[in-house]
Amino acid sequence: MSSGKAASVVTRQVRPILSLSHDDSRRRVLALYKAWYRQIPHIVTEFDIPKNTKQCQQKLREEFLKHKDVKDIRVIDMLVIKGQMELKETVTKWKQVGHVMAYWKDSVNKKPDDFLGKFLDGKD
Amino acid sequence: MLRAPLQKALSLPNLRQLSPALRGISSTPVQLEKIEVFVDDKPVLVEPGTTVLQAAAMVGVEIPRFCYHERLAVAGNCRMCLVEVEKSPKPVAACAMPVMKGWRIKTNSDMTKKAREGVMEFLLVNHPLDCPICDQGGECDLQDQSMAFGSDRSRFTDIQFDGKRAVEDKDVGPLIKTVMTRCIHCTRCIRFASEVAGVDDLGTTGRGSDMQIGTYVEKFFLSELSGNVIDLCPVGALTSKPYAFTARPWETRKTESVDVMDALGSNIVVSTRTGEVLRILPRLNEDVNEEWISDKSRFSCDGLKRQRLVAPMLKNENGELVTVEWEDALVGVGRALLRAGEKSAAVAGGLADAEALVALKDLLNRLGSEALCTEHTFPQDGSGTDLRSSYLLNNKIAGIEDADLILLIGTNPRYEAPLLNARIRKTWIHKECDVALLGPKVDLSYDYEHLGDDTTTLKKLASGQHPFNKKLSAAKKPMIILGGQQFGRQDAAAILAAVQQLSQSLSSSINDKEWKILNVLQQVASQVAALDIGYKAGVSAIREDPPQVLVLLGADEGTITRADLPKDCFVVYIGKLSVTLNLLPGHHGDQGASMADAILPGATYTEKQGTYVNTEGRTQQTLAAVTPPGMARVDWKIIRALSEVLGESLPYDNLNGIRQRLTEIAPHLTRYGSAEDANYFVQAVELSKTVKAQLASTPLDVKLKELQDFFMTDAISRASPTMAKCVQAVLKQKTSKY
Amino acid sequence: MASNILRKLSCSLKNVGLSGPRVCQTLSVAPSALSRCLSSEAAAGAETRPTVRPHDAVAREHLVDFGRYVAECLPKFVQKVQVTGTDELEVLVAPEGIVPVLTFLKDHHNAQFASLADIAGVDVPSRLYRFEIVYNLLSLRFNSRIRVKTYTDELTPIDSVNDVYKAANWYEREIWDMFGVFFADHPDLRRILTDYGFEGHPFRKDFPLSGYVEVRYDDARKRVVVEPLELAQEFRRFELNSPWEQFPNFRDTSVIEDATPTTEKK
Repeated sequence: MSSGKAASVVTRQVRPILSLSHDDSRRRVLALYKAWYRQIPHIVTEFDIPKNTKQCQQKLREEFLKHKDVKDIRVIDMLVIKGQMELKETVTKWKQVGHVMAYWKDSVNKKPDDFLGKFLDGKD
Repeated sequence: MLRAPLQKALSLPNLRQLSPALRGISSTPVQLEKIEVFVDDKPVLVEPGTTVLQAAAMVGVEIPRFCYHERLAVAGNCRMCLVEVEKSPKPVAACAMPVMKGWRIKTNSDMTKKAREGVMEFLLVNHPLDCPICDQGGECDLQDQSMAFGSDRSRFTDIQFDGKRAVEDKDVGPLIKTVMTRCIHCTRCIRFASEVAGVDDLGTTGRGSDMQIGTYVEKFFLSELSGNVIDLCPVGALTSKPYAFTARPWETRKTESVDVMDALGSNIVVSTRTGEVLRILPRLNEDVNEEWISDKSRFSCDGLKRQRLVAPMLKNENGELVTVEWEDALVGVGRALLRAGEKSAAVAGGLADAEALVALKDLLNRLGSEALCTEHTFPQDGSGTDLRSSYLLNNKIAGIEDADLILLIGTNPRYEAPLLNARIRKTWIHKECDVALLGPKVDLSYDYEHLGDDTTTLKKLASGQHPFNKKLSAAKKPMIILGGQQFGRQDAAAILAAVQQLSQSLSSSINDKEWKILNVLQQVASQVAALDIGYKAGVSAIREDPPQVLVLLGADEGTITRADLPKDCFVVYIGKLSVTLNLLPGHHGDQGASMADAILPGATYTEKQGTYVNTEGRTQQTLAAVTPPGMARVDWKIIRALSEVLGESLPYDNLNGIRQRLTEIAPHLTRYGSAEDANYFVQAVELSKTVKAQLASTPLDVKLKELQDFFMTDAISRASPTMAKCVQAVLKQKTSKY
Repeated sequence: MASNILRKLSCSLKNVGLSGPRVCQTLSVAPSALSRCLSSEAAAGAETRPTVRPHDAVAREHLVDFGRYVAECLPKFVQKVQVTGTDELEVLVAPEGIVPVLTFLKDHHNAQFASLADIAGVDVPSRLYRFEIVYNLLSLRFNSRIRVKTYTDELTPIDSVNDVYKAANWYEREIWDMFGVFFADHPDLRRILTDYGFEGHPFRKDFPLSGYVEVRYDDARKRVVVEPLELAQEFRRFELNSPWEQFPNFRDTSVIEDATPTTEKK
């Protein structure tokens, strides 16, 4: 059933954003990943952030794996475009420390997810 | 007196019409041919007798009006609804004029506009320009319609002249604020008072520009439905006194909810702002409350804020209740419950929602206890609570309108369920319906045949020897409404059995098989749900077998006192209100909390999404309008948290989960809005014959006899200062010479 | 002045090189449209009320003519031509035709809409193509304005008109930032209004009015931190509905007049 649904989606003629095939988009993703990866040492030295290269690489991986289940080529392309935009903002140092550290969300406390925790917290 | 002119109002399309199947064959009216009229050149087929205004409404044209109201008699005195009819020399009043064949009605022509602008101008000549300080601002018909239909130029240049009419304000009681200068004499309030409320206190005096609306003599306008004139008033002449200068309607947030002050479950809208309930308004539901609500439902919301429990409390070694954290409270209560095990029991109060009732029952059942009771009793003999038909208002509230004979037994619906009484009054006025009352003589706002308050009369009725039996058996659609309060009597089982037998004997002579004769009017909002879920009615089980831990789920009526319990019994109170912890002896209320060893603050009906089943078996839900104050939590979550501390986690941790559990127990508990029919009337009667109890000789009595008894009946209304003022006002009125 | 110009426009209609039958068709359409226009004007009567904007029937007719002319010239791309209640000409085009249409309007001798005043976006989530992209053009030569509208969804790119109008550069960046519409072949498509690292597109209707995150300076960390939004105060929302109909005159009248040539509808 799901394959039938997928087929109907595919049959709609859409205009590609950048990539024409899955291989194409995969290549772009990997290129973006590599570009970020190579920039990480520079980012760590350029920005005064309390993170080392290892932690940054881990975060990079995490951010990419967040979208590991995205299959639509156009969505992937859109994400790649936004990733490139972010990369440019970072390497040109338009971003400040706070912007870079926003990836870690280190000031956000985790909310309780069990019933008793939520009950004592008074929040649903 | 009122029966004749109201025929018009009855022909309204939105009033409940009897389906032909429900009607007796003889009363089927001749189907009249529909006539065609044109509203703004749009053709519409209407029944003869339809007014111009209704015909226009059918094609979606809302004609402006002030005096006309769907549920009141037509007055036709504001003239705002003037519209042009082709070939008619003058504009006609749309609200009063029945359409004729082929009429071409023009609701937007130059003549219509000119007529409206003229009427607006005349109304505004004597209306003060005080919108900025007027409480009606933002929901004012005059304001809205002067914007939409009034002239955009003023001819009122005479501002130096002090010629605007000024009228002295009337003091009509603690609920309604009057600014009579703003009155435009639509007479909606007068018509409501005399037609719906049945209190002929309001009227007009004087003529022309000296005309005034008032009470003739210095008198309060006191009725259990008086607050509705605030909604009816199209201008700011009658506004809510407790709500005065509180908020503007556009800045409040509206939550659709259900009232729990009586067993009817009136539909309401809760207006809130910044986490505070500001006021309660009625919501339209033709099956329950039409568009009215009682004063207790409307004005007791200030009791939600006062005397609240906002933090959990536990008794320390010195026997004093001290505020503790939730963790400590849960552990303290949990320890006591574990120790008691199956020697624990629970009493549910009148305001508990079905979710909390189910959670509490599941928890205690897991501990091995079956002792779960409601505060209000019901006879266990005969069918007991096994058959729903014996504790529901089986014929539904709207069904009253079809009845031709209503017998009230041991109840005063006027104060136990004001809107049920309003329905009976409506039926009494508009239809050929007679009412009889067996019980203490009270003022029901309509005439009735008083059969005395003796139980022997009931016995005679049941055996068919009473003169009234002739009338009963002659009636095509009789209804018997039994007051739930009588179940508190010793001979409750015998009363119920007698009424069941009487109903059954009548049902054989009725053609309509869907018609239910036996109806029970419950006292409190939670009772039907509690009985549906399987609570035992009445606390006798707890008295007989005193528990070691007693959980009071909002049980404030004092049916169980410390004297009924062993010395070492640990009492847990889960509830919303009531915090007068050092109660004066003899103080009437909120004894649940005062005898407790642990207090767990719960939520009120405006703070939780809770399921309530009203007296006709209709499942409805309240929605959370505000968050519970302080550390208070939603009731069923407290019980769920307690279960986790006990290591007996209940298998639901969100609303969907517990609703699913409700569906498992009784599917109708989650079918919101619909009333599940009860059945097995014959079986109930068969079982009732096994009842051994005899009718006692004490006469039937009701608690709420007069208006002052009506206002303060539960934990919320007892805490409400407005309700206290109402009681004072009624008592003051009693001393007045009028 | 304006009538002069538009007479020129309609003259050129015959000269643009349309074949005989087409001209006849076009001419056969014109009187009906004209009469419709005139009849509606006659029914309403000459507007004398000072608060109501009077219609200039001649100017309106010229706009209709010019719109029809554009539709005739670019039949492949123009889907609809309409005139609003306030006498503004709107040309609705297919997304792939935005560059040719704008090039035509800019460079054509009879149009010369050389100035791109603005590009705007409209989000209507219920539509298949939820975004409407609106180009407002100004012809200084003819003192005339025209509005070109096209449509897209979240993922379909639209051709950048940066090559036609240099002004489009920042406008398209704005649309990209606020709506998330991607413009193909834009030389420098990056954010222009939102903060670096900002997620989401604020002008989309599904973006909450309050946003998702709040930003504050953290004293301990000596930097700005981004946290999920928590409103300490109730979010104020005013409900200004009235139970009474405010504008009965406009109950079911659309103020937009369709001026698409009937020949194009086939």
